[in-house]
Order: sequence, then structure tokens, then C-alpha cells
Amino acid sequence: MGGVWVVGEVDAAGALTKLSGEAATAARALGEAGSLDVRGVIVAAEPDGAAASLATFLPVVLTVRSPEALEQTAAAVIAARVAALVGAATEPPSYVVVGATPDGRDLAGALSALLEVGVLVGATGLAWGNAAEGVPAGPRVEMQPFGGRIVTTSAFTGDRGIILLRSNMVVAEPLAAPGRVEAGAAVEGLDVAPVRVVERIVAQSTGPSIDGARVIVSGGRGVGGPEGFAGLGELAGLLGGAVGATRAAVDAGWVDYAIQIGQTGKTVKPAVYLAFGVSGAIQHKVGMQTAETIVAVNRDPDAPIGEFADLFVVADLAAVVPALAAALRARAG
Amino acid sequence: MRIVVLMKPVPDPGEERLGADGRLDRSVSAVINGNDEYVLEAALQLVEAHGGEVTLLSMAPAGMTDPIRKALAMGAARAVLVTDPGLAGACAWSTAQVLAAALRTLEYDLVLAGADTSDGGGGVVGSAIATLLHHPYLSHARKIEPFEGGVRVERISAVGHDVLEAALPAVVAGTQLLGEPRYPSLRGIMGARSKEIATRTLAEIGLDDRPVGGAHATTTLLDTRAPAARGSTRVVRDLDPAAAAAAIVDFLVERRAL
Amino acid sequence: MTAAPALGRLTDDQRAIRDAVQTLARERVAPRAAEIDRTATFPEDLRLLLAEQGILGLPFPERFGGLGADLLTVCLAIEALSSACATTGLILAVQELGALPLLLAGTEEQLDRFVPGLAAGSDLIAFALTEADAGSDAAAVRTRAVRDGETYLISGTKRFISHGSVASLVTVFAVTDPEADRRRRLSAFVVETTSPGFSVSRLEHKMGIRGSPTAELAFDDVRVPVANRIGAEGDGFGLAMRTLDRSRPGIAAQAVGIAQGALDAAAAYAGQRRQFGKSIGEFQLVQGLLADMDARTEAARQLLYTACDEIERGAPDAGRWSALCKLVAGDAAMAVTTDAVQVFGGYGYLDDFPVERMMRDAKITQLYEGTQQIQRLVIARALLARDA
Repeated sequence: MGGVWVVGEVDAAGALTKLSGEAATAARALGEAGSLDVRGVIVAAEPDGAAASLATFLPVVLTVRSPEALEQTAAAVIAARVAALVGAATEPPSYVVVGATPDGRDLAGALSALLEVGVLVGATGLAWGNAAEGVPAGPRVEMQPFGGRIVTTSAFTGDRGIILLRSNMVVAEPLAAPGRVEAGAAVEGLDVAPVRVVERIVAQSTGPSIDGARVIVSGGRGVGGPEGFAGLGELAGLLGGAVGATRAAVDAGWVDYAIQIGQTGKTVKPAVYLAFGVSGAIQHKVGMQTAETIVAVNRDPDAPIGEFADLFVVADLAAVVPALAAALRARAG
Repeated sequence: MRIVVLMKPVPDPGEERLGADGRLDRSVSAVINGNDEYVLEAALQLVEAHGGEVTLLSMAPAGMTDPIRKALAMGAARAVLVTDPGLAGACAWSTAQVLAAALRTLEYDLVLAGADTSDGGGGVVGSAIATLLHHPYLSHARKIEPFEGGVRVERISAVGHDVLEAALPAVVAGTQLLGEPRYPSLRGIMGARSKEIATRTLAEIGLDDRPVGGAHATTTLLDTRAPAARGSTRVVRDLDPAAAAAAIVDFLVERRAL
Repeated sequence: MTAAPALGRLTDDQRAIRDAVQTLARERVAPRAAEIDRTATFPEDLRLLLAEQGILGLPFPERFGGLGADLLTVCLAIEALSSACATTGLILAVQELGALPLLLAGTEEQLDRFVPGLAAGSDLIAFALTEADAGSDAAAVRTRAVRDGETYLISGTKRFISHGSVASLVTVFAVTDPEADRRRRLSAFVVETTSPGFSVSRLEHKMGIRGSPTAELAFDDVRVPVANRIGAEGDGFGLAMRTLDRSRPGIAAQAVGIAQGALDAAAAYAGQRRQFGKSIGEFQLVQGLLADMDARTEAARQLLYTACDEIERGAPDAGRWSALCKLVAGDAAMAVTTDAVQVFGGYGYLDDFPVERMMRDAKITQLYEGTQQIQRLVIARALLARDA
């Protein structure tokens, strides 16, 4: 049986993403349970730095230098390179684990077509299962479709497949000693329809990133405008956290898309999620429901967030935000 | 510009429920998948501005035409519905093969799909179709415009957005940032009744001898369950702002979160 | 909706149109309703929405850009809109009311001139029959139209005219022959509100439908071409009565919509509001209120739908059907909204919740287009005529 490959993702600065470490850790656990060989792959214009980072989680990381990844969208380039590597491998992988980011989804779709295998999208948990119920031994993939209203477990019907893992579902754990980085087999040419990247626009940052933040102070339509978000920014500063937002607040132009949480934004799993003026619509809930502690402040006692918050304060946030800031300042002394 | 919009009927969000067999009950009212409605709006605006027409392409059970009628009422010219008893339980990989095969029977410059679906997460089928058809794939679009015989897309990124360009025909997956979909006008609703929904079987798109459909699914659902409850909600109301703030601080301390 | 109207009697088109208008009502109209009421401002944005979506085109023939919908379909749209906001439902009802004399008796030339703008919703049209001393006694109109060559000079004052201040056209009923029998004194005219001598002399402050402007219109020798007279001289009173036969179901539809909106709000509240450790919907006295509200609403709706079908097929007692449905629906709306406030308890009396607005809005449906007392007269006369 083949092993498990993890395709690491490289950010704009050339560094390995946090989710790639999580995916590597999840793949390692699968490998241990299923007695499978686990290795990483980095395809990038300059793969070495990210490969070294991925090797802190995995015993072997293959690199493919692919300068096209600079001028073209990465997913198609990476998919073609990975497919070629798979084709050339003496022991092709059974399973490929990829982070469920925009690039990861694009990659998984293309790879599924190139390798002719199935994909399980948006895993919230991974375990190894023995052969049973007409499916062979292999990964058992937990997913939460419909904004978490249903939890499912799925499997591949054969012995191959691609798994897209959501962020913040696994805690990344490095190996005791880092693994080794090897140059992957060189592959000539690329049989993909090119998509040129003409320009990369970096939006003005609104503060600390919500990715991996321990505390997120989030605002929705009820915040009322950019001034309201300034108040949330102050709270976030006092709590050492980051500001997030619902789609309604982003659509209204109050804050940038980079901090949008939910179905069309990011998925976060902070220790504390403070939601102000957030109704808790299912599209938002899907992005934050796994927060450890959820506190919601909303004037509407019927807001759906009241059904899944741990503490629900029915009050006018315009008065509560400054009062909370004052209380936190007093506490900090 | 001839545009095909891939449209997936999904259970009405919030109405989803499991049947007695533990599978998703597909008999609840179906709607157009949220993101698909946004890309349909973008497609309609493109043809309104640059000429051409919009064809819908769906793979769904034969009876699931209400969402397709709604999309026709919004302004699509016609619909093609691939429907075959063998497709029940099809996986994402099967779906991609079926839609790619159906696209081979159509004439188009641009294929638009929603960036993901509310039912299964999805978001990989568009990429797989583009790969199968060897078309450029431009995903997570927040803006789509024609450009010197090609297409230019603003793709949202982790830090802002990228500007992409590719030749036609191309596959573009769009997000809700494309802009609110229109309401179908009453005239559109009346007009949609006479528009064609052409049904195609697997044989008609040349796939009857291919391993697609439920019997050849690459993935299978083993188990469904309700999510674990978060525990009960503590509700606090009718407090003055200082007391409400104190209640929040106390709660966070109690949870060892401060 | 807690109670979906029976579907069997509706055609696929009717069902599709009703569903589409319900969606608009829920997503676009309902969020505006409280503000429209509080500010007593005509919702120009929603008028545009109704125009864009083709809703204002429903009652007009397809050859003029309308949708050529039957009476029941128009009423389904009014009902759906009114369940969210009675003022918005009235926009369509008044458009139909004002245009009906034209649609019933206008020449092809008149239809060509006026209907395309009405069907597109770019023009609104008001119906000006009532005067300070000619309410229920419609034949007592005093506004005069005096022939002067190829024109008429209209002078007088109309009162309680819905949309009088926002319409670009007004269908005016004026006396052309003071000596004639009371049924032959009046003639109907289409007056453009840009005409010299036309003015809005007063806007009323009302208890309900506060966003719908109710105007007093002053006509000071307003010159109107003979070509704008609808029908022959003396046809006005008959035309007004035939118009009301067909327009009253629109008011009944508004009433059914208001009732359904109040019932939905009350049922939802009863499921959420907790007292004595359980939801108030678990108390049988509350259940009784809700059940009676539903029964009244559904009964009124079914009578309305039947009345629409009867009127549409040209029933000889169309006047009786239209009076029956408005009588029953108006009373149902008043009773159901009053009970809805009761279900909400003290909260229902506050403008934080929609039911007090609905209760105020409901009252008008017992008053306009003939008071409930007039409806009874119409019904009784039809019965006596049948036996005679």
C-alpha cells in the first residue's frame, strides 16, 4: 500500500502556512495508525525554506522548484507537478492531505482530475478505520456540512483519495528531530492551461491577523459603522486579540474582507470569541462555532447567536463596549 | 459572450434534515446554491453589458426543477439538466466528469460556478472540470470582466486580491463578493414557463459506459449525527452597561479565559 | 407563514407570482415597515421596487407592457405585500383602483396614452370620488366639470384621496349635469396633476397606513381636454360603482395580508415568550386565541379567492361578492390584529413590535372603499333584488 503525502502551502512571503503544519501532523497520525509511509511535498519557485519548515513535522519532504508558480496561479501548477511526481514515484501515495484554503481547494480539484481519485472536502477530524461496512481500511473523515448542523463521517470506497483539512482542527506538533528534504524527480514541461497573475494587491491591514488569534473580538451589522469597529479594536487591544467581522459588516464597507469570518471568509478557533451585534446566521456560525468560549452581546433577544453562545448578554453594544473597555483597563490596573 | 452557469440545487439552508436512513433528505424544498446565484447574477450582467446569453447546467434528480425555473426567471436563456437514476449518490469526482462531458456538448466561452456549495462544502468540482477540459481555472472571483478576447478576474487572497487573466474558454468560480443577485421579476417568472429545460441522460452525453454515478462513487458516507451540544447558554439581560461589562469579565474569569 | 393558503385552487403562475412577491415582502418590505409608519413617509424606494419587479404592471394588459394578470393574482400580490406592510400593499391596490375606470371604459387612444406609464410603474394614478360631504353618499359629489369648447373646466375639492400627492394622474369624478337623475349626474376624467389649477391643499394625519399619503385635492378651473373624459357624459356614477365592485377585493386582500402578518408575528412570539416556566404558546387560553385568529384569517382568504373568481367570470352579482369579501376580511383583520396585540400582552402595545401598527392599519380596511355598513347595504340590496 502507498503512503500519505502532504502538499504544503507556501504563503506570499515564501513561508510555510500554519495549516500545512496541522495537515502534516494529521497525516502523521494517519500514517502511524495505518502503518503508512508519510512524506511532504513543496512545489514553489523557491521551495527550500518552506520545505525545511515542513520537515520539522515530517520525516521526508520532497521539493519541486517551479518558477511558473510566480507568474501563474499556483494551484494548477502545483497540481500538475504533484501529479507528475505521483506518476514517477515507485510507491505512489494512497492519500494526499491538503489544507482547505482557496488554493488548497483548487489544487485538490485539479489533482482529483489528474489522478482520477475522489476528494473529501473540509475535514474537521481525521482517524484511521479498519475495513468494515463494505469500505476498506483507510481514513475516516469527519465533516460538518450545512454550517455545522450535521456532523458526518465519510470514507473512500477504494484505497486512494484526497483529503482537504480545515484550519484549526488539529494542533501542529513538530517531530522530536526534523526530517530530511530531498529534491523531487525533475519533470519537464507543464500540461496546464495557464492563468497569468497580473498583479497581487495587498489590502491595508486593519490590525493583528485573526489567523491563530487567541481572542477574537468580532462585529456584525449591529456595530453600525467603522466608528463602532474602532471601539472593538480597542477591546481587542486590551485583550491581546484581533478584530473579526461578519459578511454584513464587510459588505457594508466598514472593514476589510481579510477579517471576514464565516462561509465565504475564514474559519477560526480562538479560545475566546466575543461577538458584538452579530446575529449568528448560519453562514457566520460555520466560521466560528468551534471557538472554546463564545460571548455574544446583542440587543435582539431572539438573535440566533443566543442559541449557541456560552454567555448571551442582551444589551445595547454601544453602551457595553466602552463599559467593558473600562472594566478591562481597571482590571489591568 | 456565451456563458454556461453550473447550478446546483441544494436543500434550503436551515431546512436541511436527515432521513430515516441517516442520509440527507433531498425531499425538502430545494433552492439554488447560494454562491451559484451570485455567479448567475454576474453572468447576467456580463451578457447584458457585452451581449450573448446564459445557459444553465445542472446535475440533479429529474423533479428538481423549481430552482432551475427560478434561475430562468432571473434571466438565463435555457437550461440543461443532466439527470439519470444512476447518478444518485454520485461523488464530487463523478460530478466533475458528468458536467465536463455535458459541457463538451455545449458551445460556450465561459463557464461560471459558485466557489463552494452550502451542502457539502464543495469547491473542488469547478477545478476538476477545468482540468478535464484543459481550460484555465480562475477561482474565488470577486469581479469578472472580459479582457482582450480573454477574461480578467479579481481573485480574493489572504491579504487582498490578485488580478488574473486567461484565455477563453475558461472556468471561473465566483464568490458572494460579486454582488447581490437580483430578484426575478414577475415578467421573468411568467416568461420562464416557456423556456426550455433540456434533460440529458448519461447516454446522451456519452458517459453510459463510464464508471460514474452512485455505483462508482469514490467516497461514501458512513455515519451522520447531530453536532455535540455546546452546553447551555447563560443569558443576561436588563443590566446597566457597567453591570453587563462586569458579567462578561466575571464569565471570562470563570472560564479561565482572562 | 404559519398557515400556508390552500394551494389546490391556484394555478402554477399564481403560485409562482405569490411566492415571488412573498419573498420580496419578507426580504425587502418587512424591514422598512416600522420606519415607514414612524416617519409617515411614502416609500418611494418600494414603489420603484414594485415597478422594477413588474408588480405594478400586474393589473394591466400585456399589449401595454403589463402582465395581464387576473383579479385573484393581483389580490395575491396585495395580500403578500400587506402581510409585511399595509402601506406598501396599498400602492398596488390604489394603482388598480385609479386605473380601473380607464381599463373598464377607456378608448384605445386613452389606453395608449395613459396605460404604458401606469403598467411600467413610472406613473401612479389616484381615484378621486370622495368629497367632504360625499362619502358613503357618492352621488352627492359637488365638484363641477363645465364644458368649454373642446375642454372641460373642473372645479371643486376632493377629500381622502389615497396617493393624491404622489400620483401623476388622477381619475376625477365631477358633475356634468346637475339637473340629471343622481345616477346620471357624474362623468369621469383623467387629470394630469401637472395641469394648472390643480393643487394638493392638505395632507391628512392618520391613525394607520401612515406611509400612504391621503390628500385633499383642490381643482381651481383645471382645464381638461374632452379626450380625457372616460366614457360618455353621465356615465361617471355607474363607472365608479363598477370600479368599486372590482377594487374592493384588493382592500379585502390587504386586510387578509394584515391579518396573516399579525397571526405570524403572534404565533412566533407565543413560541418564544416564556412565562411561568414555559412558552406562552403552551397555555390553552393563548392557543385558543391563535386558533381563532387562524380560522378568521383563512375563512376571509377563502371567501376573497372565491369572490375574485366570481367577479372575474362576470358573475351578475359581482357587487355582492366584492362587498362580502371586504366585509368579512376587514372585520377579520380588525379582530385578528386586536387579538395579536393581546397575545403579545403589554409588549404588543409598544412600537417595538409590529402588531400595534398592524392593528392601526387594519382599521382602515373597515372604512375605505365603502364602510362596512355600506358593504352590508350592497349585500342586502343584492339579496332583495334577487327576490324581487
